[in-house]
Amino acid sequence: MNYRVVRLVLCVLLGSSSAWAALGEVVALRQQARVQDGGFSVRTTESGSSTVREYVTAGGIVFGLAWNGLTHPDLGKLLGGYATDYQMGVRQSPRVFGRRSHIVNTGRVVVEKWGHMRSQKGRAYDPALLPQGVRADEIK
Amino acid sequence: MKSSEGLTALAVALLVVGCSRGGTGSDGGGSNGPNPIVAGLPNGGTLPSISGANVLAMTVNGALCAGGSYPNKPCVSVTICAPGTLNCQTINDILVDTGSFGLRVFKSLLTVPLTPVQVGGKAVGECVQFADGSSEWGSVQTAGVVLGTEPVVQVPVQVIDSTFGHVPASCGTPVTSPADAGYNGILGVGLLAQDCGPGCVTTANNGIYYSCTGASCTGTTLALASQVQNPVALLPHDNNGVIVELPSMPLGGLPSLSGYLVLGIGTQANNQPGAVTVLSADANSGSFTTNFNGHTSVSFLDTGSNALYFSPPTSGVLPDCSFFDPGLGGWFCPSSTVALSAVTTSSNGTTASLVNFQIGSALNLASSSNNVFIEIGANGGGEFDWGLPFHIGRNVYVGIEGLASTLGTGPYYAY
Repeated sequence: MNYRVVRLVLCVLLGSSSAWAALGEVVALRQQARVQDGGFSVRTTESGSSTVREYVTAGGIVFGLAWNGLTHPDLGKLLGGYATDYQMGVRQSPRVFGRRSHIVNTGRVVVEKWGHMRSQKGRAYDPALLPQGVRADEIK
Repeated sequence: MKSSEGLTALAVALLVVGCSRGGTGSDGGGSNGPNPIVAGLPNGGTLPSISGANVLAMTVNGALCAGGSYPNKPCVSVTICAPGTLNCQTINDILVDTGSFGLRVFKSLLTVPLTPVQVGGKAVGECVQFADGSSEWGSVQTAGVVLGTEPVVQVPVQVIDSTFGHVPASCGTPVTSPADAGYNGILGVGLLAQDCGPGCVTTANNGIYYSCTGASCTGTTLALASQVQNPVALLPHDNNGVIVELPSMPLGGLPSLSGYLVLGIGTQANNQPGAVTVLSADANSGSFTTNFNGHTSVSFLDTGSNALYFSPPTSGVLPDCSFFDPGLGGWFCPSSTVALSAVTTSSNGTTASLVNFQIGSALNLASSSNNVFIEIGANGGGEFDWGLPFHIGRNVYVGIEGLASTLGTGPYYAY
């Protein structure tokens, strides 16, 4: 095993066990995964109730989040500086009876929830942070 | 955004007319409506009358739903008993939901005592999140549940009660009343047997189950048998799934629609499948795939979704209603009713079927006095959710995981 391989394995280990960054925040360099085709990288964090994927620009900024699991994750933490904006948006986009999805678009942040019992899903992103050529539906 | 005003207006517009007309079939048949019954569906405008211990009358809006219910809401009555006794009550306005698993009913409606489920000597609390952003919180208790006139089954149910213990922060702001929720309860009769499954047996931090002492609730593991369960799977017979049966109806809507929720698949003379397409579903998520407009999405059938929810085609043929009314953002408002089709494919990839459907203007439908619509759709995020309109004019079979029928072993959908 040469040095490069060791370093890669170490990065993966650090990435999987270290704390995530919230939307719009910068991921510490040592925690960044390799940038994929398309100019961004994805870091995955699992908890007992959901799996969260952070979409990170080549510059290390979290521009989007996607999740799936038994429950939706605690968006208050994941949205960081966007959380208050989102809460205001929720109040202005109340639940619609019978609808199995919820879309909040404050202009600054878009949060979409959908799915059904035992398979809840969603994504959140700041449209202004999407890297050039990356579509919102690539956050999945 | 002003969606609350607009959607309230939609609800009011849709719900002014009473919905108590009975009968088994499309209320008014084709004779009263301006439009003929939608053709090309397996069921006509009237269903053959069926009866038996395994048959529950079901109305979409109509007599079994509370007055003023939201559009396209399928309801049944369920009898709940103190466990092991004949002390029972019957509650109507119970949402028939093939997108969830287990019975949930508001504590405020219960007049019979149930038996709290415990874990490690503590009461069990549960948070259920729905994808519309809402949640339900309350205790888990064992009830005697009677479906149709089947034998009573003893089953853990969720007693919805936002004042129980202490609501965990991750549960958000749970619904507080039937008016707040839009129903008295939910009968989850989907593909799976428990509402959480193996994940909650092994992981305490599951976000769903909590052990509670007084106002202190912390995450807990919970054995499958203690979890809130699909009561159908516990029946002595007729336990391998359900059939949702609704007649066809005209475009433009009806005040209500009457049909059946039939227990068991191929277990009685009244539930023998005809020629149907069987779609195996993913064992974990209960999903298959739908290809629409050249794009393949995760997909499911769900009577608890009141419209067809999917991403609109890029052609612009389904403009968003917000162009006409900001309050109706998300709903589709084509200038005239559009005929569309999609291909559903089983999770194992071996079976596919073409599904034709129509989408009309939600704005126009909202301005009618009707409550039930076969052609209503909305933008629904990343999946293709075949809601209640898909079930109109078809018998839809929902095969429970691990249980065999003449159609195969669940989880599967068939239609």
